[in-house]
Amino acid sequence: MENDNPRRRFLKAGLASTSLALLAGTRANAMSLKNPGRDAGDARYIGRKDSHFVMILDLRKCIGCQACTSVCKVENNVPADQFRTFVTETEVGAYPDVRKAFLPQLCNHCEDPACVPVCPTGATFKREDGIVVVDNTVCWGCGYCISACPYDKRFFNKRTKTADKCNFCAQRVDQGLLPACVETCVGGARIFGDLNDRESDVYKILHNFPTTVLKKAQGTKPQVFYIGLDSKVVELFDTTIDLDDIVKKKQGIEREWMKIAEEVEHHG
Amino acid sequence: MDSINTLISSITVAKPWGLDIPNYFWFTGSSAAAFIISSFAHVFGWKKYKPIAGISLLMAFVLLVAAPLNLIDDLRQPGRIMNFFLYGWENFATSPMKWGVLLLLAYPILIFFEAQALYRPYFVQKVRNSAGLGKLFYGLMTFGRMDLGEKALQRDHKLGFILGAIGIPLALAVHGYTGYILGAVHANIMWHTPLMPLIFLASAMVSGTGLLLLLIPFFQRFLSERKKVDRKMVATLATLLSWFIVIDLVMRFLWLTFSLTFADGEKYSLYSYFSLHFQDILLVDYLLCLLVPLIIGFTRLKNTPAVVYLGALVTAVGVWIFRWNTVIGGQTIPRTTPGFLHYSPPLLGQDSVLSVLSNWGILVALICAVLLIFPWDEEMIDCYKGEAHAK
Repeated sequence: MENDNPRRRFLKAGLASTSLALLAGTRANAMSLKNPGRDAGDARYIGRKDSHFVMILDLRKCIGCQACTSVCKVENNVPADQFRTFVTETEVGAYPDVRKAFLPQLCNHCEDPACVPVCPTGATFKREDGIVVVDNTVCWGCGYCISACPYDKRFFNKRTKTADKCNFCAQRVDQGLLPACVETCVGGARIFGDLNDRESDVYKILHNFPTTVLKKAQGTKPQVFYIGLDSKVVELFDTTIDLDDIVKKKQGIEREWMKIAEEVEHHG
Repeated sequence: MDSINTLISSITVAKPWGLDIPNYFWFTGSSAAAFIISSFAHVFGWKKYKPIAGISLLMAFVLLVAAPLNLIDDLRQPGRIMNFFLYGWENFATSPMKWGVLLLLAYPILIFFEAQALYRPYFVQKVRNSAGLGKLFYGLMTFGRMDLGEKALQRDHKLGFILGAIGIPLALAVHGYTGYILGAVHANIMWHTPLMPLIFLASAMVSGTGLLLLLIPFFQRFLSERKKVDRKMVATLATLLSWFIVIDLVMRFLWLTFSLTFADGEKYSLYSYFSLHFQDILLVDYLLCLLVPLIIGFTRLKNTPAVVYLGALVTAVGVWIFRWNTVIGGQTIPRTTPGFLHYSPPLLGQDSVLSVLSNWGILVALICAVLLIFPWDEEMIDCYKGEAHAK
């Protein structure tokens, strides 16, 4: 009796045809473990296969001129008030025992990054040469990677409305050039190269100088190494009282924690 | 060391998650709780919850349909939503967000089928008593099964049981994964605890029971033919709420004692955060929103519905505040910038006060829709009468 019910037959036929249409609509190769760029083997997504790029920041040579901060914005077209790299400037001690201390910061291109495995769209990934990049044509802007980065080195680019970060100037590195910040560093504090190349500066320095990394306990194995990193300066990271900060003062409290309404107003 | 350091300039970082996220967590949590309460009757066969099991199931459904809209609003590129389904599957094991969207799709579908099995006999009656479009619509809702014989009813009952049984872990997962999303972020000292999914589930049971304690008496008094509140049920739910608060407090006690006392160096940041907000959190979140409702449910106060509703309201709001303190508060803790960050949600635009209010508007609209479509009232009255096919 039940099987003869016309409504039931109608529903069955409807279900079958809908699922068939859905199946036909989804091309088998449309789904991907990675993302289309990586699947296509695009050189920009693969990088230089036999290389392992790292950066060394020699803090003894940093004079806090912010040339790296500015050139990065120009090279990578980073929107106003946003930064892929910057140099934190602090004063250690009090008169007369006082000195300036600088801490250049950028994406650490971690060997075991916290940001990559949480990405639900595969938009961010590590190239074979160790550079962590974001495909801003795939990113859907959920912000999980930004939350996951222990170094706060990711942000929503106001213009593209996707996650953005330092990419070691991969566009330059792929052409055999140095990252813009390294090229422009007046004190030679930024050293960049291929750790797999035994003749490279980074190879020699890493093997001859004591270096350290930021937030080692996070277990991300950063590939940006520091010479002369002062624990007193790093402690600023965990300081919870509001210290004097001229940038904060200039921008005012309402500029903190970007608000989308503002972004839309200025860039939409 | 602070005294010898002075920051001259740095970059104040922006954090990604705003108002939408605590609201989303509150919605999924309350949905999971409503589902569990409906399963008390449908799966565990606890008779005293039977009259409210149907309406709880429907509330679980609407909350979960409305919840993901918060997430879409939170996306900076909502137009790329298909990218989630197409790409990045290699991250499935390590991205709780990836699990979440699948759960968010499966769970409401399951609830819908469970509700269909529960209400099918009533839809059949509606088909017989209506004409035209109504007849066609209710006909569709019966899925073409018009049989009201003993065997068919037993089949509905069995289907409801099976779906309910599958639904319990699914409901726990659909909210538990949100705790996983935060707990997985080892960079955030407030979020990074394996207890986070359990803390979220415990507080979800609190907010969901609180919400049902407000909605069900309202429906019974103003929208049902019965026209009176089941005071015994109110007292039962009030005691249940108190037990959920006990579990919630135990979870939070374990979490805070470990992360503030026995944790590594980062505990100082967390300690500063709780010192800064000590009064707000202690007085509002713990005393007013947890302890007061706890006392109501365990004392004779539970027999005074007005007091119970008040307790339910503050505890539901309190859990929302807890979600806010966790999601927003956790992000204000500095990682590379000295000093706490500040966040004030925008009034208009994406991820704003207006978008959250709109989401609540959608919830109200959805509640109206399911109350119109599903014969919840007839079923509830039958349960109170002890009718055979309502068992």
